[in-house]
Amino acid sequence: MSLKTTTYTLEYPYTRTTGPVVGRFLTNLRDGKLIGVRTGGKVICPPVEWDPETNKTIEDPDYVEVGPGGTVKTATWISQPTRKHPFQEPFAFALIELDGCDTPLLHAVQASGPDAVKPGTRVKAQYREERTNAITDVYFVLEADATDQYIEPGPGEVEMTEHLISIDFEEIMAPQRLRFIEGLKQGKFIGGKSPVSGKVYIPSKGYDHIERVPMDESHEVEVQQTGTVCAYTIITPVQYYGQEETEPYIRCSILLDGSDQVLGQQDIRDIPVDEFRAGMRVKAIWKSEAERDTSEIDNRWGGTGACLERWEPIDEPDVPFEKFSEHVF
Amino acid sequence: MANAPSEEVAIVAYAQTPCYRAYPEAEPKMIMSLVNQILDEVKIDRHSIDFTMAASCDYLSGLPFAFVQNVDGYGAWPPVYESHVEMDGAWALFEGWVRLQMGDIDTCLVVGSGKSSPGTPREIFPLQMNPYYGAPLGIDPVSLAGLQAAALVDAGKATEEDFAQVVSRSRRDALDNPFAQVKKDVSVEDLLKEPYFAQPLREHDLPPITDGASAVLIARADKARELCDKPIWIKGIDHRMESNNPALRDLTDSVSSRIAAESLGIDGASFDLAELCVRYSPEEVVLRQSLGLSDDCTINKSGGPLCGHPVMATGLARVAEVARQIREGQGQRGLAHAASGAALQQNLLCVLEGGA
Repeated sequence: MSLKTTTYTLEYPYTRTTGPVVGRFLTNLRDGKLIGVRTGGKVICPPVEWDPETNKTIEDPDYVEVGPGGTVKTATWISQPTRKHPFQEPFAFALIELDGCDTPLLHAVQASGPDAVKPGTRVKAQYREERTNAITDVYFVLEADATDQYIEPGPGEVEMTEHLISIDFEEIMAPQRLRFIEGLKQGKFIGGKSPVSGKVYIPSKGYDHIERVPMDESHEVEVQQTGTVCAYTIITPVQYYGQEETEPYIRCSILLDGSDQVLGQQDIRDIPVDEFRAGMRVKAIWKSEAERDTSEIDNRWGGTGACLERWEPIDEPDVPFEKFSEHVF
Repeated sequence: MANAPSEEVAIVAYAQTPCYRAYPEAEPKMIMSLVNQILDEVKIDRHSIDFTMAASCDYLSGLPFAFVQNVDGYGAWPPVYESHVEMDGAWALFEGWVRLQMGDIDTCLVVGSGKSSPGTPREIFPLQMNPYYGAPLGIDPVSLAGLQAAALVDAGKATEEDFAQVVSRSRRDALDNPFAQVKKDVSVEDLLKEPYFAQPLREHDLPPITDGASAVLIARADKARELCDKPIWIKGIDHRMESNNPALRDLTDSVSSRIAAESLGIDGASFDLAELCVRYSPEEVVLRQSLGLSDDCTINKSGGPLCGHPVMATGLARVAEVARQIREGQGQRGLAHAASGAALQQNLLCVLEGGA
C-alpha cells in the first residue's frame, strides 16, 4: 500500500550584516582576491574575529593577501552532491592550505574524478562570473585547469550577505487527518471522542493529550455544523517574504456544537469587522462538493482548507462569555 | 572525580521506540507511548514527576514550534515544570542532572525525540554550520565524515578495512536488538566491494535516516531506591566542545572527548561496556583512541547509531542502552557517549554503574 504524503517547503530569506572582518573578506572575494588574517603567528583564511587558540579579539587585524594557489591537505570525493552543494556534478570537498596560510580552508574543488584530488594536489582559486557577496563566489580547480580571469572590482564595501534557506519536506499524512479531510469533502466535521473523558477534539490528533491515551478511527464522531465564535483577531497584512494577503481580514476560532476543542484559523471575509464579536453564533456554509479543495491541509496546521464558502451568522442570542471562556485560547 | 556530584542521581527507568524509517504519525504520539511506558513500569502518576527535560529540533521536520506540540507527549495539563534543549536528549539529561543537584526536587523525566524522515538531513544539517563560511557551501555531515575518514587514512591511523569492520560488527550485533532499523550479517570483504559514497566512505559507513525517541527517568538516591530495585547510578557526566570550523581542528583526534574523560577522572580501561555515538564508522576509531577503551570493553552491543539514528534521541538512547545492559547483568560499569555538531565537534560522556 502506498501511503499518501504531503509536501511542504520551508523558506527563510536571511539577510545578515557581515561586520568588518567577514565584510572585508567578502569584499575581496567579490573583487577576485583571497585574504587571511595574521594572529598568534599564523595566517588564517577565511579571516576570523577572534584568535582560535586564545579566544581573544584580534585588535587592529593585519590582513594578508593569500592564494590564489594552494595545496590540498585532505579531500573527500562527493559522488552524490546535494542540491545545496556548490556543484551539481561530483566534486571534492577539501581542506586546502592556501599559499601564505598556516591553516586550511574548507572548500570545493572541481575535478575529473577522485584520483585527481589527493593530499599534495595543487589547486587554484577561480571566481564565479556572477558573484553574490558570499563564500560561494570562489571555487577551486586543479592548477593545470585554471584560467586567468580579469575580475572587475565592485562598488563599495560588502556589509550585508544574503542566504535564502529553502528546504523541502515530504511526510506521510496521519491517518486521522486523512479521515478529517474525507469528512470535509463530504460536508462533515469529524472529530475524535476521548474514550476516557468523552471530550471531542477536532481534528483528532490520534491521541487525547489530556488523558494521554491513543485514539483511532473507532473513536471518531461527526460534530455539528453550528458553533460559537470564541476568539478572533483582525490581521493587517505586513508585506513580509511569502505574504499573499493585501487587505485586512479576520481569523477566528469556532467551537462547534458537540465538540470540546475549537476549530482554529477560520477565515472570515464577509462579516463586517465592526459587527464581528466573540460569542456570536455561526453556521458553516459549504462550497459545492466539486469546489471543495483540501490540497492545502497537511499534518501541521489546523484549518478546513478551501471547503467552506463562509461562516454565516445565525439568528440566535450570543453565548455569554462564561460559557466559552475556557476556549478563548 | 573532579565533577563528582554532591547529590547522587540514578536512572530509575528507560524506554526507547523502535528506530522507524518513517513514523506515520505525529511526534507527540511517539513521546506519549514512551512516557506512559515508564509511568506504568515505575507505577507513579505523571503529576509526581517534578521536572521534565525535553530535547528536539524544529528544523528536522520543518515544523516551527514542534517543540511546543511535543509537550502533549509529556503531559501538558495541568501545566508542568519543564525545559527544552535544541540538542540531543543526552544534553537534556545533563540539564536534568544539574537541576537535581540543587537538592530541592527528586525526579526528572528526560525525553529526546525527532523525525528526520520528512526532510533531507544532508540539506538541513548545513544550516548549523557557520552562516558565512560554511552554510552557503552546503557542507553536510556526510561530507565532513568523508573528510574525517580521509584524514585518518592519510595519517595512517585507520584503513578502509577498519571502517568496514566497525560496520560489519555493528550490523551483526543489531540482529539481537529489537529496536534496530538496519541489521544484517555481512562480511568485511563484501562491504569493501561496495562503491564509494564520500570517498573513502561507502554508504554503509553512514547512519540510516530514522524517526524515534528515547526517554529516561532519573531520581535522587532515596527516591531512586524507592522507585526501583536496581537503580543505575550516574557516577559522572560532562560535555566539551571544539571549534565550529572543522578546518581548524585535527580531525584524526577528539580533543573534547579526551578533556571530558580527564575532567571525570576516568580510566578508559575500567569499563565493561560502552555505547558510543558512532554515526559514521570512522568515529569509532577516533573515540576508541581518545577515550582509551580497552579491547575487553564491549562496544555498541546494540549496533549503535549505524543501525538506527533517531537524531535528537540517538545520544540519550546510548545512555538508555548502557543502563539496560547493566541492569540485565551484561556488566557493572559502562560508558555512554553522545555527540553533536560536525565530525565529533561536541562530546558528552556519562559514566553509569549498577549496585545498590
